[in-house]
Amino acid sequence: MIEFFQSPVTQTILTALNQGFIVTLELFFVTLIGAIPLGLVIAFGSMNRLAPLARPTRWLLRRRGREPRWFARALIVFRPIQLICRLLVWIVRGTPLILQIIAIYYVPGLVMDGGTPWPRGEMGRMTAVCVAFIINYAFYFSEIFRGGIQGVPKGQQEAGLVLGMTKGQIFFKVTLLQMVKRIVPPMSNEIITLVKDTSLSRAIALQEVIWAAESFMKGNQGISGLWWPLMFTAVYYLAFSAIVTMVLGRLEKKLDYFQV
Amino acid sequence: MKKILALILALCLSLSLAACGGNNAPQDQNSPAGDDPATTTAPAQSAAVEEGGDTESDVAYVQAQGTLYVGITNFAPMDYKEAGSDEWIGFDADMAKAFAESLGVNVEFQEITWDYKVQELDSKTIDCVWNGMTINDEVTAAMAVSDPYCTNYQVLVYPADKAAEFEGLTSLEGLYVAVESGSAGEDAAEALGATTVPVQAQSNTLMEVQSGNSDAAVIDVLMAAEMTGEGTSYADLAYSLNLNEAQGLESENYGVGFRKGSDLVDAFNEFWAQAVADGTVLEIATTYGLQDAVILE
Amino acid sequence: MPILDVRNIEKHFGETRVLEDISFSLEQGQALAIIGSSGSGKTTLLRCLNFLERPDQGVIRVKDHVIFDARDPATQQESEVRRKRLHFGLVFQSFNLFPQYTALRNVTLAKELLAREQPEFKTRKKEVLAEIEREGLQLLERMGLADRAGHYPNQLSGGQQQRVAIARALALHPDILCFDEPTSALDPELTGEVLKVIRTLAEQKTTMIIVTHEMAFARDVADQLIFMDSGVIVEQGDPQQVINHPREERTRQFLARYRQEA
Repeated sequence: MIEFFQSPVTQTILTALNQGFIVTLELFFVTLIGAIPLGLVIAFGSMNRLAPLARPTRWLLRRRGREPRWFARALIVFRPIQLICRLLVWIVRGTPLILQIIAIYYVPGLVMDGGTPWPRGEMGRMTAVCVAFIINYAFYFSEIFRGGIQGVPKGQQEAGLVLGMTKGQIFFKVTLLQMVKRIVPPMSNEIITLVKDTSLSRAIALQEVIWAAESFMKGNQGISGLWWPLMFTAVYYLAFSAIVTMVLGRLEKKLDYFQV
Repeated sequence: MKKILALILALCLSLSLAACGGNNAPQDQNSPAGDDPATTTAPAQSAAVEEGGDTESDVAYVQAQGTLYVGITNFAPMDYKEAGSDEWIGFDADMAKAFAESLGVNVEFQEITWDYKVQELDSKTIDCVWNGMTINDEVTAAMAVSDPYCTNYQVLVYPADKAAEFEGLTSLEGLYVAVESGSAGEDAAEALGATTVPVQAQSNTLMEVQSGNSDAAVIDVLMAAEMTGEGTSYADLAYSLNLNEAQGLESENYGVGFRKGSDLVDAFNEFWAQAVADGTVLEIATTYGLQDAVILE
Repeated sequence: MPILDVRNIEKHFGETRVLEDISFSLEQGQALAIIGSSGSGKTTLLRCLNFLERPDQGVIRVKDHVIFDARDPATQQESEVRRKRLHFGLVFQSFNLFPQYTALRNVTLAKELLAREQPEFKTRKKEVLAEIEREGLQLLERMGLADRAGHYPNQLSGGQQQRVAIARALALHPDILCFDEPTSALDPELTGEVLKVIRTLAEQKTTMIIVTHEMAFARDVADQLIFMDSGVIVEQGDPQQVINHPREERTRQFLARYRQEA
């Protein structure tokens, strides 16, 4: 066993897998850091109640003394920001991530005059994949956040209001922590899915850990026809998701001191 | 159906454009549009350029970028890495380095997914496909291809102990044959009636045969010579049966693919003729055992 | 001069009229009790006073200042509303304590946030925070909860939670303290402790509006009583008189039904 791990072939393979897994981790953390705030913005967008046509429609109805029919009702509940956000949620959640990665990386370069807007080389691929992942996960997160925010009883917000707090103070001092407590379990699911989804990035040849492992099946650095490196990547994924589970478990425990 | 697809694509696109518009604004400064003196005199030329091609000189573009991006897959003896090394070597890799030098630019090798080679070129994420690419109708329809520089034909690879069953076959009917998805080998195997098993890379086809999942594989002879038989990972595999001959076809030729309408083709052909003349090509080909395959005319 | 003067308040939810021509006034140091069946508009009225709902018609004055006039948009500016809310305190039926904070922090949070907005806060940070905390502890002590300051809401009984909520509302020194059925969510054996606190507040001449179902309590504690039904004030006046000798038929019916249930 020790001999196996000390052999130069194994060393070469493990080095390549380590390098690949670092790419996997970079993608993972960049996605988390980008998708959480963006998801929050989208969550607020999809809860936005701005209805610019409601007042004029009501005014017109009152002036003419008419009861609202279906068209007027549609105008009253027309909420453009909410509509756009929910439409985007549908599109992003309804199409495969792999398709989004390919579209984001190739399509702009194919239709724009100056060629790809992404930096060329490995860096550009990484950037494109990060953007695809951040967008995709932000929309998934936004629905979780929305559930979390809407799950906080309205009375909490009203209590804040009558105590003279601003909307921002209410969100950060009152709602946020209660929301966090509610969303930790569903977020844990998504985050562990994210760890595994990073492997989709090899669709545009990002050299993550699965790509690195597969290279030893077809031939890389004089080593070919080996399938164990591919299976061995499971060890990386399992170890990492164990850490993620542990960290999120701690967070859950830390929030145990109060009930919502 | 097509309309729906187009709609979805358009939506994804607008999303992605919005995304990169925010992210990559400074990058645009590197693009050659306008600020290159060579491009301002281009209109006279542009009429001659085929549709889909750029109106600007591709050579000027690459020189402005300062780097030639070469799209490759890991494919010995053309583009590969030695154990413990991070440098791309091989016949194609070494020649690509020389070509980049002749243009006065750096070279970067970019591993790509072979199925997307045309999209990679057209979106300018790479500048050429230089990876033992067989010249066929699909390739010439989508790219500007150089003069042939190497000959090749497709061979059938099978377990050595079953050689008797395979030698001299003229039809592959009823056989499961592993091929690289989208490769010339796939066309050849299909033409001979095989049930094809498309996989991601030529080398993966050998895994298929070795593991018994497929009866045989069709790959380039260059690769078969490099990767099967004694001293390789696939010592139990053998090859014979020139499929090009079996179909009464000429041997295939390898070429380098560029963007449609690119003037890099001319630059390449000029460079190659020079390199043949001064013996560079033969010297490098000999290093990688390709002295018989390389075209020296 | 009354501390609070409400004139002709009207409120619709869609096509439904929930408040109609509500007018009353309240003197400094007085307690006003509002009774009526559920759905009669009592809670909506309190919510209008606290700017949680916006009346469609009417004027609200506090200490002779117009703080709301349905016909004058200048009085409805969002930026002003926040400051105007501070005239009123509101104790909710369901307490609405912040679950992630201790009892003490529930009481001091809003005051601290307001203090932080003062320009001189930075220079006197320590003193100000200490003062707010001392005041918070004092309030909890008045509520009989001195030993519960460090407890989280889920560690407190319903009656204790409601008393924390009262302390929280008092911390901002509102001109008028509103109670929205403060004991309705409590088990009967816990209502007493909350009513006792409110009674003490009344004795200390706190200006209050109490929406309640506790008739005897309303009669004994309030200086003035309003009976509402279907969004209108049916009868108002001295609590003893309204409850013991109602003039209106509707009031009589409500009280009779109430006595049967009790």
